[in-house]
Amino acid sequence: MSTLHAKKAREFLKEPAKITHHDQTFWGMRMARDKMVSQIPEWEELREKASAIKRHTISHLSDYLEEFSSNLKKNGVHVLWAKDAEEFNQMVLKILTDHQVKKIVKSKSMLTEECGMNDFLMSKGIDVVETDLGERILQLMHLKPAHIVVPAIHITRQQVAHTFEADGISPEKGNDDPTYLTRCARNSLRSEFLEAGAGMTGCNFGVAKTGDVVVCTNEGNADMATSMPKLHIAAMGLEKVIPDYESLAFFQRLLCRSATGQPTTTYTSHFRKPRPGGEMYVILVDNGRSDFIANPDHWETLKCIRCGACMNTCPVYRRSMGYSYSFFIPGPIGIDLGMLKDPKANSGNISACSLCLSCDDVCPVHVNPGSQIYLWRQQLEHFGTANSEKKLMSWGMSWVYRNYSIYNMALKVAPLLNYVPKSIIGNSKMNPWCVGHLMPEFVRKPFHVLEKDLEKEYEKKSKIEP
Amino acid sequence: MRKEELFARLRANTHQQFDMPDMDIHALKYPDTLQQFIKMTQSSGGKIVRLKKDGDLNAAIAEAYPDAQVIASNIPGIKADRNPDLVAEAQDLNRTDVGVIRGEVGVAENACIWIPQTMKEKAICFISENLVILLDEASIVDNMHEAYARIKMTDYGFGTFISGPSKTADIEQALVMGAQAARSVTALSTFTS
Repeated sequence: MSTLHAKKAREFLKEPAKITHHDQTFWGMRMARDKMVSQIPEWEELREKASAIKRHTISHLSDYLEEFSSNLKKNGVHVLWAKDAEEFNQMVLKILTDHQVKKIVKSKSMLTEECGMNDFLMSKGIDVVETDLGERILQLMHLKPAHIVVPAIHITRQQVAHTFEADGISPEKGNDDPTYLTRCARNSLRSEFLEAGAGMTGCNFGVAKTGDVVVCTNEGNADMATSMPKLHIAAMGLEKVIPDYESLAFFQRLLCRSATGQPTTTYTSHFRKPRPGGEMYVILVDNGRSDFIANPDHWETLKCIRCGACMNTCPVYRRSMGYSYSFFIPGPIGIDLGMLKDPKANSGNISACSLCLSCDDVCPVHVNPGSQIYLWRQQLEHFGTANSEKKLMSWGMSWVYRNYSIYNMALKVAPLLNYVPKSIIGNSKMNPWCVGHLMPEFVRKPFHVLEKDLEKEYEKKSKIEP
Repeated sequence: MRKEELFARLRANTHQQFDMPDMDIHALKYPDTLQQFIKMTQSSGGKIVRLKKDGDLNAAIAEAYPDAQVIASNIPGIKADRNPDLVAEAQDLNRTDVGVIRGEVGVAENACIWIPQTMKEKAICFISENLVILLDEASIVDNMHEAYARIKMTDYGFGTFISGPSKTADIEQALVMGAQAARSVTALSTFTS
């Protein structure tokens, strides 16, 4: 009866100390976010307007993309349109081969993860170097991100030390001090920046009115990657375009406060033109987005600004971690995006939700990831991925609950189950309901009987004392 | 993929259109904007040194970074060993101890300083071990709405908001200053008395 998510989460849950640490780390980020929010009296107004701006932009996407791309061209930037991951990867490869680039430094981009770009380029002999510290650690460990903002937070300092030693980045054996390790990475990445033939960034916001590609980082790695090499390639999903600076102010204020609980990222960089003597390419990637827009229940998923707040607050994400999800973006928003992309492959994720809707409460642009998960659940039958065992149980429960006499009788008999030995009733093979649940003790007098008795007593009393 | 093809599909797939909202916002203002900017600069890990407008900038920089061997700047009057306008390649700015640049707008709510590119090699803003940003205190605003209404891009077509030093918490959430770019940032703010 378990979904793929539940099976994978079970592996992770075998180490209670690790899961507690994971849970507390992300809850800490949620609390940091709350502290930021409490300092901005107009926070809810910001969310409302940011959501409305995105709604407007996404529902006028071709107009804004036209404006954005014509401004890019006016500014001397090359514009390319990629239909899917395959076309995107080929475009990047062509730009690199045309410029005889052997090594590329890149900042974090979930879009390049989505397209599997790194593996593709490396298979073609291009040296791809991730420069965000977390991404670099994962790249050296041959792992994928487990979170979209803090991708390597599940890795321990000992693991980082070990990896850096094995790769010749850390000379001091056994030194696992985070400051020391960060310095080691800094030194090693510095030479990569100096040598690379191209720099690649993602794009947090594309400003239609000016043609700016806006990239937010704390490390300054996107800036290093675009200040040394003469060639800059920016990868951008279609939905990242926004109207103008006036709108950007809303998103800039919301993004980092929601993401890590900082008032801003250290760097909010605006790339409008190629650097002197250099070239700049912007590749706009569709990869399904133009179809997602047609889905009446789920098109607003495209409003997402990828802050990760929904993951940080999610009680299921915090206790099951990123690798338990089948889609490369985990957590509530990842469940929704995965369902849009490939519902058959990713429908196991939609049970990874308690419908507490805490994600709806924190989402800075009102994507309402949890409410969307609820809607996806109604469609499982349609995708042929509904669980037959659960279906039978639901049918049985609905039959019992609709027949009062049977329901009452069942309640009367239920306390007998209290006498069945735990080895039988608590056996997950005989009673699959027990997996992850403790059997409740059935009471002799259920609530509605208790309530009726009280009513009777009250009537008696009011007759005596009018 | 042809752009026209994509646009046609986007139009066909859009079932309902929404208007832009009213963009007025009663954004946070501070009773003392300068004090808030100072507070946020410090909490972002940055330092702030206040100086009279006709004060000695070179002396202030030397005092903030007494061990600096290599200073880079293209600002007239700043004593520098390297000039980002004159170096052949951006790579030549590596191993700069202190880069001195000019910021145009400061933002009190988050300590961001707008730095439009005013030099050939913007690398100076990131590759320098330590960064000094000159800022006129009269140009500090309360929030990002005001900042975005005010910032201007130069012909170089690049500009960045910087708030404190480069930082990371990617290893077990331990905050470390100086990830890939400047390890320390000092805002040298000038005022007219």
